Amino acid sequence: MLFDALNIGATSLKANQKAIDVVSHNIANVNTPGYSKQTSNLVTARPDQINGLNLGRGVSLQSIQRSIDPLINNAQINNASQLAYWTQQNSGLNAVENVFGSLQSTGLSAAFNDFFLAWQHLANSPQDGAQRVNVQSKAAVIVANLTNMNSQISKAQLAADSQIDQNITNANTLLDQIGVLSQEIQRQESAAKGAAGLANDLRDQRDQAVRDLAKIIPVQSIGTANGTFILQSTSGDLLSQDGVSQHLARGNVGAGGFADVVIQGSGVSIANASTGGNIGGLIDLRDNKLGNYLKQMDSIANNLIFATNQLHANGTGASGKTTLTAGQASNTALALNDPAQAAPFAAKVQAGSFRIHTYDATGAAVPAGGTLINITATSTMTSVATSINAVPNITATVDASGRLTISAAAGTTFRLSDDTSNMLAAYEINTFFHGSSSSNIQLSSDVLNDANAINTGKVNPTTSIASLGDNSTATAILGLQDLALSVDGTAAASLHQRTSSLATQYGTDVAVSKQQLDYRTAESQSLSSQRQAISGVNVDEELISMIKYQRAYEASSKIISTTNQMLNSLMGLIR
Amino acid sequence: MRISSTQIFNNLLAGIHQQQQLQDLGNAKIASGTRFQTPAQAGLDYKVSLDIRHAQSSVKGSLDAIRTAENRLTLSQTMLSDMDNVMKRAQALAVQHANGGLSANQRASAAVEVDHLITRFLNDANQQWQGQSLFAGTAVDKPAFVQDPATGVVTYNGNAQDRIVAITTTEQLVTNVRGDRTEFTDAFNALKGLSDALKINDVAGVQTAVGTLSTAADGMINVTTDVGGKLSALKFYKTSFQDMKYQLDKRLAAHEAVDIPAVVAQLSQSKIALQAAYGQINQIKSLSLVNFLR
Repeated sequence: MLFDALNIGATSLKANQKAIDVVSHNIANVNTPGYSKQTSNLVTARPDQINGLNLGRGVSLQSIQRSIDPLINNAQINNASQLAYWTQQNSGLNAVENVFGSLQSTGLSAAFNDFFLAWQHLANSPQDGAQRVNVQSKAAVIVANLTNMNSQISKAQLAADSQIDQNITNANTLLDQIGVLSQEIQRQESAAKGAAGLANDLRDQRDQAVRDLAKIIPVQSIGTANGTFILQSTSGDLLSQDGVSQHLARGNVGAGGFADVVIQGSGVSIANASTGGNIGGLIDLRDNKLGNYLKQMDSIANNLIFATNQLHANGTGASGKTTLTAGQASNTALALNDPAQAAPFAAKVQAGSFRIHTYDATGAAVPAGGTLINITATSTMTSVATSINAVPNITATVDASGRLTISAAAGTTFRLSDDTSNMLAAYEINTFFHGSSSSNIQLSSDVLNDANAINTGKVNPTTSIASLGDNSTATAILGLQDLALSVDGTAAASLHQRTSSLATQYGTDVAVSKQQLDYRTAESQSLSSQRQAISGVNVDEELISMIKYQRAYEASSKIISTTNQMLNSLMGLIR
Repeated sequence: MRISSTQIFNNLLAGIHQQQQLQDLGNAKIASGTRFQTPAQAGLDYKVSLDIRHAQSSVKGSLDAIRTAENRLTLSQTMLSDMDNVMKRAQALAVQHANGGLSANQRASAAVEVDHLITRFLNDANQQWQGQSLFAGTAVDKPAFVQDPATGVVTYNGNAQDRIVAITTTEQLVTNVRGDRTEFTDAFNALKGLSDALKINDVAGVQTAVGTLSTAADGMINVTTDVGGKLSALKFYKTSFQDMKYQLDKRLAAHEAVDIPAVVAQLSQSKIALQAAYGQINQIKSLSLVNFLR
């Protein structure tokens, strides 16, 4: 029977030694991300029944359990997606902060204020060449602001799109890792069988990989009764099952000019890809936030360009023109307002007319009142050129690209007025701006090359006289400052309102992203605390456990040495 | 709640991050003197700033426009006053030479002075400011009046369009006196009538000129008074816009300015919290069972 005591002591030595191994493992991984505290589950060995007595046979290490809470784990997966989503939004939005100006320099808003102030000064001194140069330079600032803003936002869009590719690569690495870990877990656990053989560390690593993956795309894991591990996107697309993972990839280019995120091979877009994770944050940033800013900037440019050009094309400057070339080409086989025309404002052309006034070498109008050029629903650029060619001393030609040029005979000049058809503004004849959006806005080449090409007055439609002090065009352009415009069909709003709305929209987007980021960060910290409370390693606890197991180990050693002495005593009886 | 070893440090680290952010934000506010700098910091407040600045820019434009109008009208008034003086002198000469006792030579001498007065009146009427004719309407590059060298008749050479100054995007003021007003024609005709009568020693003609000059002078005084009225109206505009400017400046300062004492108090509070967190980290590293096991 003394041998039983030796065996019992031996089981204790073995069990406590293993328990100390578990403690050592916990302490070693105190700072390992995703590690869950492990606990030795010591149980009494199966007793022997001898002569009706249940005699204990010592202790054994039944299992090593990791401390986890699946609810917290799932909450962390969801939080990881949302935190990454809002982090991407917030950092992406902050990266374009300079585009929207600051109080030191309010950017586009200040540029518009200065632009219209310059027009006001010119309106009040229309004969002053310096004021024309001032308008020219202030308009150039607006052009530079809009094009720079467009360029920076477009670049930010491309950067976000490029980051999506990088995230897809990272996601695929994690999906492969999850697949490999699932296979290893299955292999280890099926070999060991039962709770005793749970692959704790591998499960921790897989959980961590899933949480890392959730930072990239929103995912959900489904544990089945037979231990199979299934990982899906939140929209139900299968990503990994039984150690087999599917990769993410880019699909076909969509309407916005960017490719969707799809399951590789199937080409099926991931439905909820934009609702969470880095990829979701980047898609929303690229398409909805930055895309919306670009739309608003384009709308500002569109309204500014056409509204200004409409007034400017009907005006006249310091002197008559000898030649004018359209800034926009036309398809001469099509009507001027045909939707297939490439000119961005071609649809604005309507039935109407404009006047062309010609002046002889002395500056006298010949004839007074000019000549009316009619535009009908079927007018083409060629037919307009034909009508203009009927005006004495004026030649109109349409080049191979469909661009109209009006030229006065040597020694004579001409002026344009009273365009009720919008033809001059739509095809950029005698206009101030060129282009139609924030990406292509420019000063018209005439205005860019010569500030005297800026029109401030109007030709008298009856006498054809143009007076140097007439400021009617400049005053009308000044009037655009606070006029609600809706050239492009957007809700009518003034240019200032549109500009300040853009800045406000951006500010609100940043505020929302920051508020959400703060909320998700606090949630992350809270969940992390909750996880740490359950799964985290407390070194003090482990040291106490270590002392406990050490003491048990020492006591068991004492049992063995005592039993040994008892055996020696017994053997001494025999000698 | 059970606390893990990592968690103790994580919590302190989160606190330190928070306090450092507060320090950074407070420093930025103090350095700039404003509550916010960018739309990202305060979207709606930034919009209000843009609106106030937009209004400030409009008011600046209005004040500049009023200055332009004032200059134009003041110079016009000066010229018109001089024309009034010319008319007064012509009237005096007419009254003096309507006396039948004066000789033809004396009237011929007076005619020379009257011709000078006509020239002076014409020069005044053709006065330019910054190279622009004051009384020619918008035909500023032309002299407002031209005199036929043969007949001496003065005719209006400008156009019938007024010079408009845009005070705001919707409010405009006429800032000129057009030479095609009948008062100018009457004045030129009256002066020429006197000159002609003096030259031919026509006492009756001179006596008639006394009446026409008186009427024409009254007309010119009325024109001058009109300009004076416009200048007075401008003063009201000016006062109103200057007041608006002051109010906007005040509103912008109140809207954007940082409450420095509040920020300093917040910074001090944050500094204490930060120092406490640093001290706590130093404490915690020695508060471990490891340090007591020998």
